[in-house]
Amino acid sequence: MTGFLLALLLAEAPGAQLFSDANAAYLSGDLARAVASYEALVAEGVASSELETNLGAAYLRQGKRGQAALHFERALFLDPGDDDARADLVEVRRGNVDKLEGESDEAGGETLARVLAPLPGGSAAALLMTFWCAAWVLLALRLLRPEMPWVATASGAAFVLALLSAGITWGAATGRRMALQRAVIVAQSVPAREGPAEKSTSHFEVHEGTTVRVEDVEGDFRRVKLANGLTGWVPASAVELVVPPGWAGRPVMTGSPRAGQP
Amino acid sequence: MKWRRTGSALALALLLPLAALAAAEVELSATLDTDQVALDGTVNLQVTATYASKGEPGDLQLPAFADFDLVSRSQSEQVSFAFVNGAPSFHRTIVTALALTPKRAGDLVIEKVLLDYHGRSYGTQPLKVHVVPAGQAPRPQQNRRRPPDPLSAFDEPPPEGLDPFADVHPGQRDLLLRATVDNDHPFVGQQITYSLYLLARINVSGIDKLQLPRLDGFWTEEIEAPQQLVGEARILDGVPYRSFLLRKRALFALRPGKAQIEPAEVEVLTGFGMLFSRGSSRRQSQAVALEVQPLPPGKPAGFDPGNVGQWSLSATVDPVNVAVGQPVTLHLVATGRGNVRDLRLPRLGAIAGLRAYDATTTDKETIEKGAVTGTRTVEQLLVPERTGAVDIPALTMDVFDPALKQYRTLRTEPVSLSVSPAQGGRAASEPTAQNLLAAGGVRPIRLRLGSALRGPPPWTRPWFWPLLALPPFGLALLLGLGRARRMLQIDPRQRRVKLARSAAAKRLQGARALLGKGEAGAFYAEVARAITGYLGDKQGVVAAGLTREELARALGERGHAEELVSRVLRVLDDCDRARFAPRSGEVTAREAMLTRADQAIGDLDRSRA
Repeated sequence: MTGFLLALLLAEAPGAQLFSDANAAYLSGDLARAVASYEALVAEGVASSELETNLGAAYLRQGKRGQAALHFERALFLDPGDDDARADLVEVRRGNVDKLEGESDEAGGETLARVLAPLPGGSAAALLMTFWCAAWVLLALRLLRPEMPWVATASGAAFVLALLSAGITWGAATGRRMALQRAVIVAQSVPAREGPAEKSTSHFEVHEGTTVRVEDVEGDFRRVKLANGLTGWVPASAVELVVPPGWAGRPVMTGSPRAGQP
Repeated sequence: MKWRRTGSALALALLLPLAALAAAEVELSATLDTDQVALDGTVNLQVTATYASKGEPGDLQLPAFADFDLVSRSQSEQVSFAFVNGAPSFHRTIVTALALTPKRAGDLVIEKVLLDYHGRSYGTQPLKVHVVPAGQAPRPQQNRRRPPDPLSAFDEPPPEGLDPFADVHPGQRDLLLRATVDNDHPFVGQQITYSLYLLARINVSGIDKLQLPRLDGFWTEEIEAPQQLVGEARILDGVPYRSFLLRKRALFALRPGKAQIEPAEVEVLTGFGMLFSRGSSRRQSQAVALEVQPLPPGKPAGFDPGNVGQWSLSATVDPVNVAVGQPVTLHLVATGRGNVRDLRLPRLGAIAGLRAYDATTTDKETIEKGAVTGTRTVEQLLVPERTGAVDIPALTMDVFDPALKQYRTLRTEPVSLSVSPAQGGRAASEPTAQNLLAAGGVRPIRLRLGSALRGPPPWTRPWFWPLLALPPFGLALLLGLGRARRMLQIDPRQRRVKLARSAAAKRLQGARALLGKGEAGAFYAEVARAITGYLGDKQGVVAAGLTREELARALGERGHAEELVSRVLRVLDDCDRARFAPRSGEVTAREAMLTRADQAIGDLDRSRA
């Protein structure tokens, strides 16, 4: 019965028909139509790791590695446990032009983000609230009714569980904060400059598909940091945030990206 | 006689100049071939000394030439005899020719030349020369002191051709540094050749310093850098010159627009070897202006701006017959003329049944006939993952051919791999890989659309943190209220103690009310109750049931003075007596009793405090 209801709900989900059409176009090799249909679903506000994975695969088959990497990253943001998106992202990175060398001071951060991302932050926050309230209620009972010794034990257990939930919530919040700064180079090649101006000196170039961290915004430029610490300003049009404005309650970025983060 | 006079006058007229020359013994003069010269040009100074006798020519002292470099010096001598009236006449002329190059522009002066001859000093007049900046042709000379230079007849530039010196008109310059490019309207990324020549009609023994211009805005490649000077005879404007190639470089413009190659400079050693009139002279070339053209419109989609030149593209796979799981190598080779380092070759997309590894790129550059040619080879390891035919599609690359001035699409031939099952017959211990299922490749798409919650996480909601803070605050509030309530609760005993004085006062007030009614017994009883009630409430001494001695002892134990205790006891005794005494009805006695009782209670209260 439950399965039937779920199937009914999915069948009636908005955009399901368009998604099916896009899949059919993809499977028949009409990648342009597939990409257009997937993008139409994205424009309608559909957020789904399946949609993002398929869109990334279509872009990858078109040779647009930057867009492919971006949508695989988005799929992983929506569903950190999406194995397909993760494998496809590895495939994209294997063909990246940019091979980072030198001290990898951000690699640890990326690993941490990957570890923290799957944490059930919402559930942990709900449990934190439940255990926390229960712990204090039991503590109050213990203080008002000292003759019930089991209340003290229950209160202590509730505090321990609340602390555990708080740790998971903190980890999920940290992972989310790091995810909000992730971005992907979508331009085929773009010079990274010393300042937010076209006239600034460029010391290196970054190419499509490279994942960066957006650290600042100034006018039409974004200050990005690569995983090995290389930092430069690139045009805003050359880099796309993994978590677009409007997703997950994220405000549209008008100043520093940190300003809008929870 | 007349004839003799006439003949004598004629002879005298002929002999007078000789006589004057003989009297002067030497005549010294200096001339310049021009009074205007370019900074990179040469001016010739000719010093002529004419002697009337044989012997030592004297000491010719040249000026210091502070504003000039002495490029060359030569000397010629001519001797002539003349017979005048049968007498021989001797003439000796020594011409010293000096080639000078100016060191600066402006109006310069060549100081006078001196000649010491037989103890006498002869000198020439100083000569003025106007020097114009390098590269500028001196205006036509109106006061040239020698016949017009045949070279000047070619001042008008001839039409440009392949000859880099077609537009060179050295004029009177003996040394000239000439920078040329083979194309001053190249496309972005197209090769142009920059050459630097030294033109000389005097002997050049070497190059001391060569300073090439900065070539910002170009990617450069050395074509020729001769280690020895090898001259090549050239006729420029009818004058024989030798041209020496100093440098030849290939330039690839990086951006469109006007560009200028700044002048080069060279320090030239002139003369023969170390001993013969060796000098040095600095020369500067002219700047070279370029107009770099952008690539024409009509670029194919995905065209890379670095793909400029005459290129060919080929793809081979080695081997094409392979067992599954065995690697093959795809060789993608681009060969041709152009900047190979800027070339961007097509990439092999994902191919079903073929796993591709990272490609390696090698470049090889060569110079062929003055053109930069190169080969870029991309080698990629491919591993078939299934048996059967695996097709590697044709790869295309768009290039711009500057020679044809059009875009071309280069296409490789598709390659078909024949993948067979892995060979059997191996040792039993070795696993036979019939179908290598290597990880990798793009995974199949999802067919069912799920949805993801996009709501903000709970900790970003405004209610989260206040709600989290509510339980501890609630408990703290509960505990605080309990404590306050306990603090506000009053003990009845304490209440009695606190209100004992006022209760006693009320009873005394009641006794005063009885005073006016004439109820003496009730009055004294009320006064006694006021005292005993106070003692009970405040002092904790229940007077009823105690003898007077016991009451006195109890009050003494509570620290009251003996006089006060006895006074209290007297009041109680007097009350007891008055209740039953016949004179107890006197008002004055009752009022006195009220006063005594009130004083006793007040003293007890103060003493207790």
